[in-house]
Amino acid sequence: MKRADIKVGVLRIEGTNSEEESARCFRRLGCQAELVHLKQLLGIDTWKGEERKLMDYHVLFFPGGFSAGDYVRAGAIFAARLKSGLGKELGEYVRSGRLVMGVCNGFQIITEAGLLPNLSGTMSELPEACLFTNDSAHYECRPVYLKHVNRGRNAFTRKIPENEMRVIQSAHGEGKFLVERKEESRILKDLEANDQLVFRYVDPKGNYAGYPWNPNGGPMNVAGVCNRDGNVFGMMPHPERVFYRHTHPDWTRTGLNVRGDDVGDGRAVFESAVEHLERKF
Amino acid sequence: MSRGLQSAVASRYVRARTPFPLYQIRLGDASDADLAAISKEMGIGLSVDEMKRVRDYFRGKKRDPTDAELEMLGQAWSEHCCYKSSKPILKRNVYGIAEDKIAFRGDAGGLEFDKDHYFIAKIESHNHPSAIEPYGGAATGVGGILRDVLCCGGQPLAYVDPLFFGPLDKPQASLPKGVKHPRYLFQGVVEGIRDYGNRIGIPTIAGQVYFHEGFTWNCLVNAGCIGILPKKNHVPNRAKAPGNVYIYAGGHTGRDGIHGVTFASAELHEGSEESSRPAVQVGDPITKEPLIHAVLECVEKRLVVGMKDFGGGGLSCVASELAHDGGLGAEVDLEKIPLKEAGLAPWEIWVSESQERMMLVVEPKSVKEVLHIFRKWDVTAVECGRVIKETVVRARYGGELVIELDLAFSTGGPVYDRPIALPAKTEEDPVEFPEPKDYGAALLALLGRWNVCSKEWIVRQYDHVVRANTVLQPFQGVIGSQSHGDASVLKPLETSFKGLAVTTDVNPSLCQVNPYWGAASAVDESIRNLAAVGARCRAITDNLNFGNPEDPLVMGQLQEATRGLAYVARELQIPFSSGNVSLYNDSPHGCRPRRRSSPSASSRTCARASRPTSRPPGTTCSSSARRRSASSAAASTCGCSGTPPARRCPASTPRSRAARPNAS
Repeated sequence: MKRADIKVGVLRIEGTNSEEESARCFRRLGCQAELVHLKQLLGIDTWKGEERKLMDYHVLFFPGGFSAGDYVRAGAIFAARLKSGLGKELGEYVRSGRLVMGVCNGFQIITEAGLLPNLSGTMSELPEACLFTNDSAHYECRPVYLKHVNRGRNAFTRKIPENEMRVIQSAHGEGKFLVERKEESRILKDLEANDQLVFRYVDPKGNYAGYPWNPNGGPMNVAGVCNRDGNVFGMMPHPERVFYRHTHPDWTRTGLNVRGDDVGDGRAVFESAVEHLERKF
Repeated sequence: MSRGLQSAVASRYVRARTPFPLYQIRLGDASDADLAAISKEMGIGLSVDEMKRVRDYFRGKKRDPTDAELEMLGQAWSEHCCYKSSKPILKRNVYGIAEDKIAFRGDAGGLEFDKDHYFIAKIESHNHPSAIEPYGGAATGVGGILRDVLCCGGQPLAYVDPLFFGPLDKPQASLPKGVKHPRYLFQGVVEGIRDYGNRIGIPTIAGQVYFHEGFTWNCLVNAGCIGILPKKNHVPNRAKAPGNVYIYAGGHTGRDGIHGVTFASAELHEGSEESSRPAVQVGDPITKEPLIHAVLECVEKRLVVGMKDFGGGGLSCVASELAHDGGLGAEVDLEKIPLKEAGLAPWEIWVSESQERMMLVVEPKSVKEVLHIFRKWDVTAVECGRVIKETVVRARYGGELVIELDLAFSTGGPVYDRPIALPAKTEEDPVEFPEPKDYGAALLALLGRWNVCSKEWIVRQYDHVVRANTVLQPFQGVIGSQSHGDASVLKPLETSFKGLAVTTDVNPSLCQVNPYWGAASAVDESIRNLAAVGARCRAITDNLNFGNPEDPLVMGQLQEATRGLAYVARELQIPFSSGNVSLYNDSPHGCRPRRRSSPSASSRTCARASRPTSRPPGTTCSSSARRRSASSAAASTCGCSGTPPARRCPASTPRSRAARPNAS
């Protein structure tokens, strides 16, 4: 399909707050992106012309923020509303091969909804993982180095060579990727074997390291994972905040031409998704 | 609530024959002592002279005021709302500088950013609430300042937060009764700003933290916000025409934040915790966040003709000021106001300062669409009143008229030219710095001082990159060994490389030694901070935090500080786009830092501060809160585009009433 025909829905409810910059990233690449309130998909309090369907979109993007205040558990309330109102449609959407991405709170939401890490069916009944409180017990806003470890399954990072490092802004209080404690090492190994691990936190030399390079203390330094089909992807750090080099924390030192004219380290994530859709549909 | 149960003047409170609590206050023949007793018992903080003015007004009307009317006047005439002590000084010294550069004034001041946009800057204090309940006080401070940007129709872009506390290692036993430990206050304030600012998705990109003995009782929490506004979206903070409809939107009204402004217009004391806890509001960022979206959607669709946020004085101020500034009047139906709990008396609804509330003025034809937009966002919005031609404010409850005041009277608060005394000039002690034997140890000792050590763990708890506009972050340099920058820079527009730089600075110890040069240096340093990131200073917003204005020496400090501000601003022709004065940052306990035996850079200032000043005996030592912070916002180029520096526009309009309520 043509780039200009790709439709991106950036989902919002009260408390989501990175929706505008997320939508802008897709628009900069020539796609159509619109901000959609969950109520427009559920048909609640809408006037004529405001209703939307999941299948209107080729990418569903869950942006960062504090949806519904994250008061119960990060992302849990948004996920519960999504699943109770649109569970069936969402399963069909994912099985159709269209794309779903969650960043930060969005990653928490799609994990709470059971879309990731996708150990069993497309969407598990109960969450299979959680993004737990950081080891520092508070919010951390800092740039992190991520190593791209995916071997090609993930549709969102195909433009990034394996083992390449990227600097992405990270900002979260609950980002420690945990799975069932008893099965932890087996599950993480399986994820690696299935090529579902996408990004891992490293130090500037590329070694797996502890705090502050791993801002939340998660085991195996997991920063982003995808599902088995590679069309659902979640990550804690924010690629939309480093679409351009001029929003990198160190551009005054490195200049703006590290990856081409003002190309930021997060841009490849959006480009990969768009190019995947251009090929596939 | 029953009035007058344990009153010395019980017979003056007459319960009206209404099914809801309403009292007539018999002022007609009240003596001075009675007037003083009524003001004290009702907690409205009016002086006897002010009460007499109220009495005479109602004598003229041939009736007694209701409790709601008296409560309203108590809020409207507080120091916090009407700047009765500071206005003459501000007028004399800082008003009118480079005024032609100001594009508009209102709740926040705006200047031209580019041919299609204004930028907005405003700073305010939230000191008293934060000293009582640091988490809620700081959170609502951050929430309040954002509404000042929002109510001009602007998109908030970033926060700046200068904070001032007592020494964190102060022994608990050394604290006077009723004083909370600086560490508790500090932690609570940082968490309050973090949880509120991060949740509503506005980056916190600048600020400062300063520790000094003098801030032990009364910490200072200042919050500033900058925003961007397409010129076509500018909404004035006033009603436009009779028949306009008032739409109340946002959080519900409760008993939190009652008497916030009168609380902020008096000194803290031992019993403040007990008596003033209800004056601190409760913040709710997850009501605010969709409120921002809904309000901006209404603005973008041209549905709003005027707007104002609920700050100090609550509904009473917002309903009156919107009408008064438009040369009109208003009628409000108190029963329509959504409540957090049943049973609020009309006066409580009228003056509550509950958070997250906005008042929109819309034309009748737009009401349906505005209410629909708020419903989409699950934000409460109701039609609650209308604009009238007659210049009075009326409020009804249960079919009864409970408030009817001439706006010229209620908004024409008193102004005092209070006595000013300047401290006698003294020669500064020359301070000797013996050469350290061990430079390594001296350096480590210096780096370990509260005011010198790294504040990274605080700043990293604030999201400073959300909205993806931050081009120069608070921390700059090689990742892993970054250090703090002098100013942060935003790129507010998708299509332009023009940047907006912001910084905030002050050295309170310098202000303590010499308010004139201390204030001047605050502006000077802010401007140099901006120059360091390649920006040109375009506007200053100042936050003056001082002690009790009834002390002539405090007025002297305020006078000198404003002269110092004006000196730099006038020379450089930079206007004050907005500002805030917070007085009564004081307590019965003052600052008495002891002379230290091993002088270092900052013990030098301590040593100076400890020198007995020429205060008349018996006056409370007010050095605690002697400081000001100048936060200056500037439009500039940020390095990446290579465009020439922003044109210095020739400059200005008369400074509007500085009185901007918002508790503290």
